[in-house]
Amino acid sequence: MKDRILKIAPPLLLLAVLLALPAAGLSPNLVRLFFITFVFMITGIGWNLVGGFAGQVSFGFAVFYGLGAYATALMINAGSNPFIALLAGAGAAMVASFLVGLPTFRLRGPYFVIATIGVTEAVRVMMSNMGFTGGASGYRVTEHGEFRQVEHYYTALVAVAIALSISMLISKSRFGLALRAIKQDQDAAADLGVNPYTFKLWAHAIAAALTGVAGGIYARYAIFLDPGDVFAFQKGISILLIPVIGGIGTVWGPILGGLVVGIVEEQLVVKFPNIHLLLYGILLILIILFEPDGIVGLLRKLSNLFRRNRGNSGSGSADKVLWGRSRLEGREL
Amino acid sequence: MNLVDYLDPLVAALMLAGIYAAMSVGMTIIYGVMKIVNLAHAGFMMMGAYFAYELFERFHIDPVLGAVIALPVFFCFGVGVHWLLVRWLPKSDQPTLSSLLLMFGFWLVLQNVAYLIWQTEDRSINTSYTVSSTVIGPITLSHVRAIVFVAAVISVAALQMLLRRSWFGRSVRAMIQNPFAAQIYGVNERKTAMFTFGLGTAFAGFAGALLALLYPFSPDFGRQFLLRSFVIIVLGGLESFSGVAIGALILALVETFSILIPGVEASYQPAISFALLVVVLLLLPRGIAGLLEKKWRVA
Repeated sequence: MKDRILKIAPPLLLLAVLLALPAAGLSPNLVRLFFITFVFMITGIGWNLVGGFAGQVSFGFAVFYGLGAYATALMINAGSNPFIALLAGAGAAMVASFLVGLPTFRLRGPYFVIATIGVTEAVRVMMSNMGFTGGASGYRVTEHGEFRQVEHYYTALVAVAIALSISMLISKSRFGLALRAIKQDQDAAADLGVNPYTFKLWAHAIAAALTGVAGGIYARYAIFLDPGDVFAFQKGISILLIPVIGGIGTVWGPILGGLVVGIVEEQLVVKFPNIHLLLYGILLILIILFEPDGIVGLLRKLSNLFRRNRGNSGSGSADKVLWGRSRLEGREL
Repeated sequence: MNLVDYLDPLVAALMLAGIYAAMSVGMTIIYGVMKIVNLAHAGFMMMGAYFAYELFERFHIDPVLGAVIALPVFFCFGVGVHWLLVRWLPKSDQPTLSSLLLMFGFWLVLQNVAYLIWQTEDRSINTSYTVSSTVIGPITLSHVRAIVFVAAVISVAALQMLLRRSWFGRSVRAMIQNPFAAQIYGVNERKTAMFTFGLGTAFAGFAGALLALLYPFSPDFGRQFLLRSFVIIVLGGLESFSGVAIGALILALVETFSILIPGVEASYQPAISFALLVVVLLLLPRGIAGLLEKKWRVA
């Protein structure tokens, strides 16, 4: 019981602090930073479901982000309730996820990754030529009522909380176990009655829906959508990096990674364009070669160092027993 | 439009297929031997383009000769990258998460170092033969395209010879067919992997230098060709060299002739490549080679 309270307390405390923050009189710039970070966290949590739990790397999440943004914008301009519009964004992203997943998840090998690299190019070109969304010149979202930044802050915060709960539930459930089994050994998982095809497909769909919602939340805030921005390959890279930096396949990894990426994108990009991608590349190489579990792995190592002095409780090394040397090592797609 | 009018795009497609094959073949051997989806291939192609550009601008070396010089230079570069990064990856007979992300990270580094050096604007190589062409009957033959085609075909043929005749080539083909059996028979896995990575990189640099003759380039240059290379090697069945040639030809034909369809603009080409990829995955999951394999083995 005590363990349980200790486990639940920090996230709830964090949530309470974040809920109370705007009342403390944050500057609009800081609220914006928080907002963008939340949006990134949602996309990262989504990517982690299919990339982290099921081990299917995707470079194409910008498609879901952009489609969610456009679908939400279209619905809002048609006069719908913003929350129904967000659901429409999730639906549009989900449909797109099936279009990528249906042909590729049937096959073994790198086909899914290859397709995700192609799909971003293809969709961006199509959206840039599409007439009713303004094509390459972008699309304006006109929402009735005045613009209140705090409202967007809370929308994004609640969405992060929901996404994190979904991720936690999946991580604990049979569904999450099945995804991890597929990541480790697809044949063994299939032998035990897990259908890799349907499980990957649904993990991908849920991930896409979350990313679509994130895109929709961003669209309402941004007011103006540029296909060269929301559908950019770079967007997909940022989304992928969030869980990788934070700790791939962990529940809290995307939150930590989202914080890093959010700050980098908001602060560094303005001052030094292109430097951030170089930084990402170096970070990616270092993470893969030295600490495949990202920030979460580092924190775990640190806490193990302290724990060793008080006698090893062993809970930290449970992962090593369960997942081998590390989550990333030698795992097939 | 009568039949003769189709001859011109047909020749153009054939010319395009040559360079497409040269750029995809490096990716195929790396995938075949190491099961690494080499996303850094795009970065190597971009570096090849700038390599030829710098040689041309500074020392007035012809870009085709520059492409040939790129072969040994990029071979050493590739061996170095393998020594520094790739050899630490865990071995697997399936592509792994870590190999994908590592190569992707390296591509990002290459691309953004290039941004720091050459900035964002598009560059191009203008030689004396860039715009000249010969008219033969209904066909207009662009000289630069013909030269690139010949260079690409010679290089791919040379690679094929190397793989067929040499001990190294034999070990590469053995590793592709069965890495375990190959090692039992005395193939040095590490050495083969290292040389293969070097060779794949060399071909990426070579193809990049040739592509620089045809298209303007920026540090983001490789990406659109990365997708095309993928489509080609998936068409070819991922590990087969003859498959690459056929895949390159099919993609070049589809791209060239799709422009003739009214309403399809040239900017839709990435969408066309992607659509082709999805169609192939649905109909021929093992590529052309899978189709042919029933009749004869294609290594």
